[in-house]
Amino acid sequence: MSWTPAFTSTLGWAILAAVSVGIIILYFLKLRREPVEVPSTYLWSQTIEDLHVNSLLQRLRRSLLLFLQLLAIAVAALALFISGMRGDVSEQSRSVFLLDNSASMQATDLGAGETRLTKAKRMIEQKIEEMDDTDVAMLVTFSDRPVTVQSFTSDRRRLRDALASVQATNQPTDILGALKAADGLANPRRSSEMGDVNDVQVAQEKPADLLIYSDGGFAAVTEFNLGNLKPEFVSIGTDSVNNLAITAFSAERNLEQPTEVQAFGTVMNLGNQAIETTATLTLDGEFFDATPVSLEPGDQTGLSFSLESEAAATLELKLDLDDDLKIDNIAYAGLTPLRNVSVLVVTEGNTPIRLGLSTEKAAKICNADFVLPSYLSSEAYAARAFAGTDDLIIFDRCTPPQMPLTNTFFIGALPPANAFGAASTGNTPPETTATESGNADDPQNADTNGTNDASEPSETGVAQTEATETGAANWSWQSPLSSVALVDVDRAHPMMRYLELYSLLIFNGRGLQGPSGSTDLMVADIGAVLVLAPRAGYQDLVLGFEIVSTTETGSTEINTNWYAERSWPVFMLNVLRYLAGAAEATGAPSHRPGETVEVRLENAIGEAKLRRVGGEVTEIRLGTSGIAEILATEQPGNYRIEAKDELAGLFAINLFDQRESTIAAAPSIEVGYVAVEAAVGNAEERKDYWRWALVAMLGVLAAEWWLYVKRVA
Amino acid sequence: MSNAASANQLLSPELLARLERMELVSRKVFRGRMKGERKSKRKGQSVEFHDFRNYVAGDDLRLIDWNLYARLDQLFLKLFQEEEDLHVYVLIDASESMNFGDPNKLTVAKQLAAALGYVGLCRADRVSVQALGPPGRSAPVLRGRASLWKMLNYLGSFESGHNVTLSEGIKDFSIRNSGTGVVILLSDLMDKHGYESALRMLVGRRMDVFVMHVLSPEEIDPPLRGDRRLIDVEDGDAAEITINAYAIEKYKETVKSFIGGIKSFCSRRSISYIPVRTETSVETIVTKYLRQRGVVR
Repeated sequence: MSWTPAFTSTLGWAILAAVSVGIIILYFLKLRREPVEVPSTYLWSQTIEDLHVNSLLQRLRRSLLLFLQLLAIAVAALALFISGMRGDVSEQSRSVFLLDNSASMQATDLGAGETRLTKAKRMIEQKIEEMDDTDVAMLVTFSDRPVTVQSFTSDRRRLRDALASVQATNQPTDILGALKAADGLANPRRSSEMGDVNDVQVAQEKPADLLIYSDGGFAAVTEFNLGNLKPEFVSIGTDSVNNLAITAFSAERNLEQPTEVQAFGTVMNLGNQAIETTATLTLDGEFFDATPVSLEPGDQTGLSFSLESEAAATLELKLDLDDDLKIDNIAYAGLTPLRNVSVLVVTEGNTPIRLGLSTEKAAKICNADFVLPSYLSSEAYAARAFAGTDDLIIFDRCTPPQMPLTNTFFIGALPPANAFGAASTGNTPPETTATESGNADDPQNADTNGTNDASEPSETGVAQTEATETGAANWSWQSPLSSVALVDVDRAHPMMRYLELYSLLIFNGRGLQGPSGSTDLMVADIGAVLVLAPRAGYQDLVLGFEIVSTTETGSTEINTNWYAERSWPVFMLNVLRYLAGAAEATGAPSHRPGETVEVRLENAIGEAKLRRVGGEVTEIRLGTSGIAEILATEQPGNYRIEAKDELAGLFAINLFDQRESTIAAAPSIEVGYVAVEAAVGNAEERKDYWRWALVAMLGVLAAEWWLYVKRVA
Repeated sequence: MSNAASANQLLSPELLARLERMELVSRKVFRGRMKGERKSKRKGQSVEFHDFRNYVAGDDLRLIDWNLYARLDQLFLKLFQEEEDLHVYVLIDASESMNFGDPNKLTVAKQLAAALGYVGLCRADRVSVQALGPPGRSAPVLRGRASLWKMLNYLGSFESGHNVTLSEGIKDFSIRNSGTGVVILLSDLMDKHGYESALRMLVGRRMDVFVMHVLSPEEIDPPLRGDRRLIDVEDGDAAEITINAYAIEKYKETVKSFIGGIKSFCSRRSISYIPVRTETSVETIVTKYLRQRGVVR
């Protein structure tokens, strides 16, 4: 144990010493005793002598007040020392402070309006104060991403400054990144393999205390080895919490009646007290509706509101209560204006696609435009492809010279190899041998007109080789033409939702290899036959088999019975909703705080403004392809992207994290299969009342002196 | 000051009337100097029969008991108790410490001295009321009721402030008065040199000693509190003390122990100890307490 005085300057101690001297002076002043004549001091002398029998004690008694006052000063001085008295001294000289600054750390269950983050910062500050000059520490904060606020240093001032700069975020919690940051410093890795005798560990391992200041509201971390890190979990927060949270909120237009809007919300009681309150829905900042919410601990309820709106609207659902965590008491949803998606279909004639796009539901959200492949070589196409006017272009058995700046769906054909160089070579003649532009709607024309060389599947696999040679590692065929038996379908993907495909017959098809980042949506015995891949803000969907084939004689034949299945129109509707963006067209997307939101706007727009509804306005710059990456998404709310004073985009930022809203402090956490019990987070904490005691003591002293003077006078 | 006024100050006429019926009781029989109203060791001519003895030639024939001679045919002389006067000394401590309390202790002591002296005068005793110290030297020796005024004049002639120690005062008294008799000492006995030697001196002179310990209520339970500098009125000695409940308790214990010590000292030496509180009236003290304690009857 060592001493770290509360006063670092001598001035404080000098003042304290002056108080003591003052008391003694007062005492001596007080000793001007009032003279009194008595007949004899004979008996008094005897009394005094009696009092002097145990002289030291009697002297103490005589000046009891003085000693009490000096004692009070001594206690005050001791208190000043104790406030800096060291607690446990760490075994290690290195400490890593992992400070949780996720949304749940804003909870105010500790009372007195203090947030968990404030308490955690105070506790870390105490630890920093306890550091020796030889101790080093680093500070890492974590929410859904780690931030090394201060790397290893023994400079306590820098640590304090770094700690002071830590702010609460509205983001969910993921500790893994922070653990990895600490791990990299404590557990150096070998440069190559363990078996290599020549490869020795160069860096010296640096064991460290891993002090995790958190409420434990994160998933158990299993993919992590603590190694030389000695974990200590300081649980911040209490078990008894009061929190009602909106865990979901969205607004959808009714596809049947597009002006009708349904707003759905889910409210959960994630505290441990029953709560009764009201939920208020506001539409564009004006009160719209309210509904009572009464939930027992652990229960949840759904809220539904019906409203009508044709234009873009912002909705806000708010719980009218003051619980321990405020951020999840309010949810936002945006409603984009009603609009149809525009689809360009390049085909020589494909009745199933035409049928799929003209079903009752699809027709309501889609404006389809059918052209022949020869249109691809026209100037009109080039202008259309790079203006981004279409939400989706379907290439049926044909390939454009460059990829357009929009989402695409290739059927029985691969995207061009030079897909990413499209913009600069916009005027290059298309490789397709499509005949002169004609109306693809005419099946006769489609049947008799030219074929597509580049994308025509060849039995020898030549096309695959060419694609591999010329194109970067992007799209390629994986197998020659053969019959296809479906093996697996990614039903979780929105594109494949509600589809029953196992009775599908496919006569000829080929396996697909998409670029990196692609998702296999449909896998057959010959490989993936339906692949979705991202492309600089767009998405490309490629189907490995044709729906309708053209025979050598030029006649049309069916390659699959999919068109006759119920799943076909559903699939086409899914494509319209999720690939063409019809789903977005009804409800603005919701993102989590801190996420980078990627928004695609029309190319013609150079600059736009981002306005948080009821908040600040910031300028955003668009990329060359009309993509804007928006980083300022920390605050929950509705965000409007405005270009030329018109709404160009809408999205909402919401927490919507049940784990984050479950704010009861965890008694332990699991890190790398090691359960770490909470240390002292909930322990009684010493409160400094000595200042008040000192003030009271000085008050008593003053009062006592005043009384004395009054009495003697 | 007229004689009547000084008498009234010290003794009220009613008290005087009551005192006339009293007499001082001596537990010892002393030889008096003159014929008085008290038994003497001497056999003499009084009415009180004492003994018989055989007649020897030369005896006063008037003392022969002729009735006995008639019955026994032998000559016996009747012996009678001689009655003589009693020497009564009333000593007043006139030190400055006696000038304390309300009424002050000296006044009460003077009143008691006057009362007891008057009782003695009424019984034809030889009374000497005197203050210890220098005023004692001019104290008259009185006899007879008519000497009351002289006594009162003397009592009115001195005030407090004669700070002699008790033993010196008694020694001075003893040198000047060689006879025996009853000594009534009126004092607070607060002598830093002690009261023991003084009392011992009186007892050694075969005096029948009565100690009337005069204390004021302020001395028994002082109304003092706080930080005080106590100054002794006799010698200016100062004692600094923080008077709190504990100190007061301690002082009371000291007073109790002091009184207990005096009582014990007196009882071992056949000295009558009579505590006197100044708040009690002289009438009550004389007619009640002193009677109960056998000082007067």
